[in-house]
Amino acid sequence: MTFYSPVITNAADAAKDDRLHLFKYVEDPDQYKIATYEAHGGYKAWKKVMGGMTPQQVTDEVKKSGLRGRGGAGFPTGMKWGFVPKDSPKPRYLCCNADESEPGTCKDRVLMERDPHGVIEGMAIASYAIGCHLMFIYIRGEFGHCIERMEQAMDEAYAKGHLGKNIYGSGYDLEMIVHTGGGAYICGEETALLNSVEGERGMSRIRPPFPAVEGLYACPTIVNNVESLASVPHIINHGGDWYASLGTEKSKGTKIFSLSGHVRKPGNYEVEMGFNLKKMIYDPAYGNGILGDKKLKGVIPGGASTPFLTPDQIDVGLDYESLQTIGSMLGSGAIIVFHEDTCIVWTILKLIHFFRHESCGKCTPCREGTGWLEQIIKRIEEGGGQPGDVEKIDDICGNILGRTICPLGDAAVMPIQSAIKHWREEWQYHIEHKECLVKTKFEFK
Amino acid sequence: MILSEASVSKIKEKAARYPRKKSAILPALTVAYRQLGYVDEEVYRAISQVIGVPYVEIAEAATFYTMFPKKPRGRYLIQVCHNISCALLGADSLIGYLEEKLGIQKGETTEDDLFTLISVECLGSCSTAPMMQVNDDFYENLTREKVDGILQELKGKA
Amino acid sequence: MAKATKNADKPAAVQTVSLTIDGRSVTVPRGSTVLEAARRFGIDIPTFCWHPKLKPVGACRMCYVEVEKMPKLQVSCALEAMDGMVVHTDSDLVKRGRKAIIEFILANHPLDCPTCDKGGECDLQNLTFAHGVDDSRFDFTKYRFVDEGMTTTFDDKRIGPEIVLNRNRCILCYKCVRANKEAFGEYDLGVYERGNIAQIDAAPGEQVDNPFSGNLVEICPVGALTNSDWRYKIRVWLTRTAPSVCNFSSAGTNTLIFGDNHKNHLYRVTSRMNDEIDDGWLADVTRYGYQVVNSPDRLKTPLIKKGGKQVEATWDEALEVIRKRFGEIKDKFGGVCVGAMVAPNLDNASLYGASKLMRTVFKSNNIDYRGYYRMLPGDPESPYMILQSQPFRIADIDDCDLVIAFGSDLVREHHNQYLRLRKAYNFAGTRIFSINPYRVKSADISELELVYGPGTEEAVINGLCLAAAEEGLADKSLANELLSRIEPKTLREAARFCGVPEDKLRVVARSLSEASKVTFFAGEIVARSRERDLIAGALLNLNRLMGITGRGQMAALVRHANSKGAEKLGLLPQPRAGLVDELGMIWGAYPDCAANSTDAMMALIKKEEIKGFLVIGANPMMLYPDQQFVREGLERLDFLVACDLFETATTELADVVLPLASWAEYRGQYVNLEGDVQTASEAMAPLPTAKPGFEITNLIAGVLGTPLYGDRSELDGEIERLLELDSVIPCPDRFMEVKPVSEPKSDGYNVALYIMDDSHHYVHLTEKAPSLANFVSEPYIELSPDLAAHYKIQDGDSIRVESEVAKVILPVRISDHIDNEVVLVPRNFTSKPVTSLLMRKRRIDRVKISKVDE
Ligand SMILES: Cc1cc2nc3c(=O)[nH]c(=O)nc-3n(C[C@H](O)[C@H](O)[C@H](O)COP(=O)(O)O)c2cc1C
Ligand code: SF4
Ligand code: FES
Repeated sequence: MTFYSPVITNAADAAKDDRLHLFKYVEDPDQYKIATYEAHGGYKAWKKVMGGMTPQQVTDEVKKSGLRGRGGAGFPTGMKWGFVPKDSPKPRYLCCNADESEPGTCKDRVLMERDPHGVIEGMAIASYAIGCHLMFIYIRGEFGHCIERMEQAMDEAYAKGHLGKNIYGSGYDLEMIVHTGGGAYICGEETALLNSVEGERGMSRIRPPFPAVEGLYACPTIVNNVESLASVPHIINHGGDWYASLGTEKSKGTKIFSLSGHVRKPGNYEVEMGFNLKKMIYDPAYGNGILGDKKLKGVIPGGASTPFLTPDQIDVGLDYESLQTIGSMLGSGAIIVFHEDTCIVWTILKLIHFFRHESCGKCTPCREGTGWLEQIIKRIEEGGGQPGDVEKIDDICGNILGRTICPLGDAAVMPIQSAIKHWREEWQYHIEHKECLVKTKFEFK
Repeated sequence: MILSEASVSKIKEKAARYPRKKSAILPALTVAYRQLGYVDEEVYRAISQVIGVPYVEIAEAATFYTMFPKKPRGRYLIQVCHNISCALLGADSLIGYLEEKLGIQKGETTEDDLFTLISVECLGSCSTAPMMQVNDDFYENLTREKVDGILQELKGKA
Repeated sequence: MAKATKNADKPAAVQTVSLTIDGRSVTVPRGSTVLEAARRFGIDIPTFCWHPKLKPVGACRMCYVEVEKMPKLQVSCALEAMDGMVVHTDSDLVKRGRKAIIEFILANHPLDCPTCDKGGECDLQNLTFAHGVDDSRFDFTKYRFVDEGMTTTFDDKRIGPEIVLNRNRCILCYKCVRANKEAFGEYDLGVYERGNIAQIDAAPGEQVDNPFSGNLVEICPVGALTNSDWRYKIRVWLTRTAPSVCNFSSAGTNTLIFGDNHKNHLYRVTSRMNDEIDDGWLADVTRYGYQVVNSPDRLKTPLIKKGGKQVEATWDEALEVIRKRFGEIKDKFGGVCVGAMVAPNLDNASLYGASKLMRTVFKSNNIDYRGYYRMLPGDPESPYMILQSQPFRIADIDDCDLVIAFGSDLVREHHNQYLRLRKAYNFAGTRIFSINPYRVKSADISELELVYGPGTEEAVINGLCLAAAEEGLADKSLANELLSRIEPKTLREAARFCGVPEDKLRVVARSLSEASKVTFFAGEIVARSRERDLIAGALLNLNRLMGITGRGQMAALVRHANSKGAEKLGLLPQPRAGLVDELGMIWGAYPDCAANSTDAMMALIKKEEIKGFLVIGANPMMLYPDQQFVREGLERLDFLVACDLFETATTELADVVLPLASWAEYRGQYVNLEGDVQTASEAMAPLPTAKPGFEITNLIAGVLGTPLYGDRSELDGEIERLLELDSVIPCPDRFMEVKPVSEPKSDGYNVALYIMDDSHHYVHLTEKAPSLANFVSEPYIELSPDLAAHYKIQDGDSIRVESEVAKVILPVRISDHIDNEVVLVPRNFTSKPVTSLLMRKRRIDRVKISKVDE
């Protein structure tokens, strides 16, 4: 049993290419140890911050970098930090979102397992920027080894004085808690995450108030994704301008993409924003083409909650704007590739089953809607589809979209709507002929 | 008390770090789950006593989360991801294969109480599909051969 | 710090915002939600999960509105109204949104309206009618929760003594669970699982049996929660409602009584929300207590004792006996040899009638309404009476920054105030301190819970005064003046005396001095203490030293539905001078003779100096703290008349028993603890032979020669004159002498005993309400887990409780909050005479307990 997840990365490229900072050392088997991390320049940024930067300067640097949240929504990180009320007498909190449960996404786990100190250092810097003295990392409970790694790294960081009281003699105190989940995708949603840390059921909260104003324990709280925070030390080391020089006009820096599904070389690849999706799928250095030389049927570019792309849409840059322009989203950067043998109804059934199972159940449209959708889609898949079912599905989706407390409702229906848009005939065929147009039967090796 | 002394002190230690005691619910459930392999009403009661949070709140939180089995299960809990990325690479047939090898249906436990087989949602191993989790360990890029080896090894350890 | 900003915020709180809703421009206080703004102007927005007294959660999504410049539909219940907003509550988009929600909710909702008790008052039924679709596109079998062993076809599951749950009807608005935890602080109900199989249920293996549980049924928008009280009894549209007020609490909770004229039967009580008093929440005792009115055990005719046995008689026969016997006593010994005791939950007219009967017909001052308290003060301006007369408003608790509950087991005796504390804590962040001889059940909102040694109240308060003095929180010369009047002289000694740590007393004193608005009240533990005047004196000292009434309120709370009315109408042996003067003017004369309180009367009865006695609604035999003493007295009486709804331990001894009409059977007025006069209207016709108290006293006066009034309005006019008098006694501008008294323990009797009402019951009246009996029908002894462990006893074991004068055997209940050596026993059940354990002259009753071996 290997401790490292056997996931393929492009660390070899990163080692040669200074632009690819997140993966530079992820293949070094000792990188998780603090000595190795420090030898690779680790905690330099934290020392720099502690050595005299003001919280405002840190925030400004991150604003300058143009870093946007890597958890899915892509909100500018520096700007989010700036929302923490300056005059609030309450304590502030930072929560690093390591719930990583969006189907297709497996990038944060690699960072945590292989470079945990990078995450801690980023969290520390962010904490300082917002005036927080107790930071949390919320790791999904199934990631047993990640959790162990993270706790070990945290202990080391304390022992070396990177965390704790009066860090580097600066007078600044910072404590850290590793909080672990219990199996609930919804706890990746930031307000549900906060409830989960508070010991409540992990259900979403209505906004406003936004967490930056009233989050954990009703105090100002910033929730950031693992990858977002892991990028921060590099921004501090090399400067916001450097980071902003990477990527595209509006999508700065690099991003890790989790590539899965019907590709020959699935894995996690760090690339500059704007990297071509087609290249990602076909280039031998990345996906290396479709399994069994089959024809591509479709791609989900940003995790299970983002709309499908068809083969004619894949010559596109992997960045927020480009994907939005063609009706999809960058999401968490999880690219799922489907080849021609994949039945769309079967696929959607898998997805809606997931969202139904993960709905927190608080708001009516999501709770009832996802259940109803699953029932209809299931009967279509099983050969019991009724005329009008597709229209009904589309309409139910419309009644969920934009009407729920949190984006899970949207996430559940956007792929469905796009699947109907792109492959309506296949749905109709399924209903009329009571079977798949494409016979899906995926055997494992 | 169903919780061991070690578990109780671990829970107390964790609880002490949080600003509010209710936050200790998930950590406590996790500790209990690691000790027992499941959680149930007796466990909620015990946790309630240890962290001083009303019993119902433990039950409410525990049943929200699907990771903790709610009754005792086999020594090895095999959880196969059936979500999309794994399914594209044969997760369903993997489940079938395991059912056949273990002689049980999904959701059941082998007679010798060694294995319980269930299927679960995405476990964050999408690029190394198909995969399964046995207790805390992830087994990825599974093939028939690997599965045979893993089951062999686990039986050997038992 | 917080208080300064809070004050600075005050003017901001009255700021307003203006917005447009459906073309109308409306102005509302800043901080209002769009929903509140709309409702205020009569624009109806449908809701399921919203409740005016709970924090919004935005879960059901029924309250959608369209707001210009916002792309998505918004939930108005959680959307703050902003200046310049343009809101549409009835646009096509909104209508479509609502329809979709109704469709979603109905997808798995059973359409069993014909057999559902909520029919006719179901939000889902009504809103479907108003906003829904006429056909469902959901063509699957509805999801159905089935429990192992569930046998009925109605999927009902009993989750509490009164509550039945049908999870299939539940629409997951979470109102019940939210109210239970947030508003009531109760943890016996929860939500389990998640997503579309999320479900409400009792805490696993437990019962929903908290003292507020009936509210959960009332606020359920559908028929998921129903209660046995109402289930399958009558359809709501066949009932008639009468506004009423609670007869079991001093707050005067506003209620609606549902009756049915054809059957002269009452069916249920619900809230009649009054934000000043109850916020729409009823305690279970308020909700279910009405059932005693329907009880088959009600007294049906007068009874007369013949040859040592009570036999049925007509009113005329009974009155004839009364005329003869009272007449004889009056003529032979004088009216002063007659006394009376009345219950403080009778209406004004009945109370006043009793006083007028005693004072004008018998010319006796032997009358009292305080049947439950030992060693009562005679002085009408005693410290306790001063403290009790102070103004107090429940709603004023809402925005206090500090509340101190002293000597009050709130959940048992003052349900409304308890809920107000929770509200203040939840919404205003109010700090709550409770100071009691044992931990009470408000711990989850109490920032500080001080537990003092039983019977050391005045030392605690002196301790606070001393802490204030030592911390320099009070004026130096005042402090010095005080110091000369109290003992001990140092905080350390006071702390040692009462067992509360010094630093805790300092915290309370400091918080008291910093708070900008304070509520400080003393409850029944003070009221029932033999040393109530000493304690009240200490409290008045504290007030003078720290100026509490000047920035908030401080009072001793009365306990009964009309205690305040009794005070204001002079139902005391010695009313205040102003009242006596007024009465003298109304009656032309006021008796000039000795005035005796309850315990003094009992003593005189025993000495055979009082020979005739009238009891209306009271039950001293069961409730006076020394049954032996009462029995010895009452048995010696020449003539005893007792009026009640039921046969009681007291009526058993009577020569004549008269059936009393209940508060629900005639229109009566009651003065709540705030001094407000409220009306309970007639919800049904009186039982054929029962009569209200005022009629009875008038009949007695009549047969003795001088009816009390010709016309009812005469009586009402007199009452009105009395109610207009100011009854607040000014706080003295000097310090009281307060030297703590300690009471030696008798050997072997180590455990302090507190006898009080169970939180589901009210004195002797409610055990005949079947629903309340479903919660508790037998006395028990409640004690701490440590004490239980010490005696090796478990929940449900029987233990022998022994005082110096009596012993009883009681089942054990292990408390989840008590943590010291005290035991609590409820006094509400006739099956065991628990008040026999008490001694009239003791300050603290101590008992020994031992396990009964089978
Ligand atoms: C249903 C749902 C699940 C989510 N899961 C995750 C997650 O696993 N990890 C994550 O970082 N963000 C997740 N998010 C996004 C978070 O709500 C939040 O936007 C993010 O953590 C913010 O961090 P960022 O600004 O660094 O991206 C999820 C959102 C939704 C609606
Ligand atoms: S959208 Fe779904 S997950 Fe989000 S709050 Fe509503 S029910 Fe919960
Ligand atoms: S009333 Fe607003 S969401 Fe339920």
